[in-house]
Amino acid sequence: MDHKALTLEMRTLREQVTGITDTALTAADGLLIAADTADSIDPEALAALAAAGLGLARRTAEATDRGTLRQTVTYGSHGCAATYAVGDTALMVVLGDEGMDVDRLHLAARPTLDRIESILTEKASEGV
Amino acid sequence: MSGIRDSLGRVGHDLLAAALSACGREEFTGGLRVSGRPGGIFHLRGGLVVAVESPGAPGPEALLLRSGRIGGEQWADLVRESGGSRWPLAGLIAHGYAGAAQLRIVCVLALHDAAFAVVAGDVDDCERAPDAQPLAPVGLGEIPARLLQDATRKLAAITALPYPVRPDRERPRPPAYVLDEAGLGMLQRELLAHVDGRRTARDLAFRTGRGVYTVTAEVARMLAEGLLECADTPVPIAVRVPPEAPVVRRREPAPAPPQFTAPTALPRRNPGASGITESLVPEKSGAGWKGFFRLRNGTSK
Repeated sequence: MDHKALTLEMRTLREQVTGITDTALTAADGLLIAADTADSIDPEALAALAAAGLGLARRTAEATDRGTLRQTVTYGSHGCAATYAVGDTALMVVLGDEGMDVDRLHLAARPTLDRIESILTEKASEGV
Repeated sequence: MSGIRDSLGRVGHDLLAAALSACGREEFTGGLRVSGRPGGIFHLRGGLVVAVESPGAPGPEALLLRSGRIGGEQWADLVRESGGSRWPLAGLIAHGYAGAAQLRIVCVLALHDAAFAVVAGDVDDCERAPDAQPLAPVGLGEIPARLLQDATRKLAAITALPYPVRPDRERPRPPAYVLDEAGLGMLQRELLAHVDGRRTARDLAFRTGRGVYTVTAEVARMLAEGLLECADTPVPIAVRVPPEAPVVRRREPAPAPPQFTAPTALPRRNPGASGITESLVPEKSGAGWKGFFRLRNGTSK
């Protein structure tokens, strides 16, 4: 896996969308892969929570016949947390403050997620 | 910094100036959506700007919530009380969170701050959105040209500082040496508590609930005084992938368990199948215990 390319994708997304404060990439089982987070955030805990949340959302979408899950967004008074599936084996969580334009984030995140999936799959095919 | 000065005379700025002055001339009512980074939207009423919203500057809601004037739960209660309004003005005043005059000032400051953020950033395009509704409009609108002039003046003021910064570019961090915070102002101490090499002046403005212009100017001053530093390289991102556990490998379907087929009939026992008879001493003749009992009971056989 190309670590440099992976971190570049995460950093570029943060630069691209105003208001992104933190990003983390985690395996579907909640194991942290990479985190670009502030010291105030525990990346391991964030990874586990995001994986659990996305799993629940995916099952909810299935149980209610809502089709393929796209993302989950949790809104708070100080911002929001968006979680995206990266293929079926990983996920990315993006934290933003009140100023972040969530629609713009969704637009910018899609191509980033595709590229991250390619990078991760590249790693898996190597069998490392 | 030449980057800041360049943005002033660029095509984007002229585009914004032309679009806003056209709105003013035509006494336009509605929104003027500015795409770019951070971009935003100018809300006009009769050709006057009554609100500006931008991802680049905290709005009135963020200013109130982040400054601690009102908590998140109280805000949610006010929104419920007001029937879902995103700016519960009457509730804020009725519950004593802020006075009417204070809220007017907050809205005016947020308007000017957002205009500054848009002007300080990159403008790609401007498009009218007649149906757009402002979140917290001011009563008396601003003349577009004057608003733009004010924002440009602020940007020029920051450009003139010894260490100019842009609101969404530089990511300062505390200095390497131990700083004596005794002589520092409240804003400086607050910023020092939040800088981490990842946050821009814009991020710090949201974090502290202050205007982005105020924070950008202060960050520039602190950088010039050595109270903050700007790293040449960004904070590295650690990638952790356990080598023995390829966590991102696609899941292979598990091998199917061996099929269990239920027997159609009851099992039949074969004599001697267990081998127990071979382990016992075989009888040497037919006149064993069987013969003895037959003789005693007088059976015919």
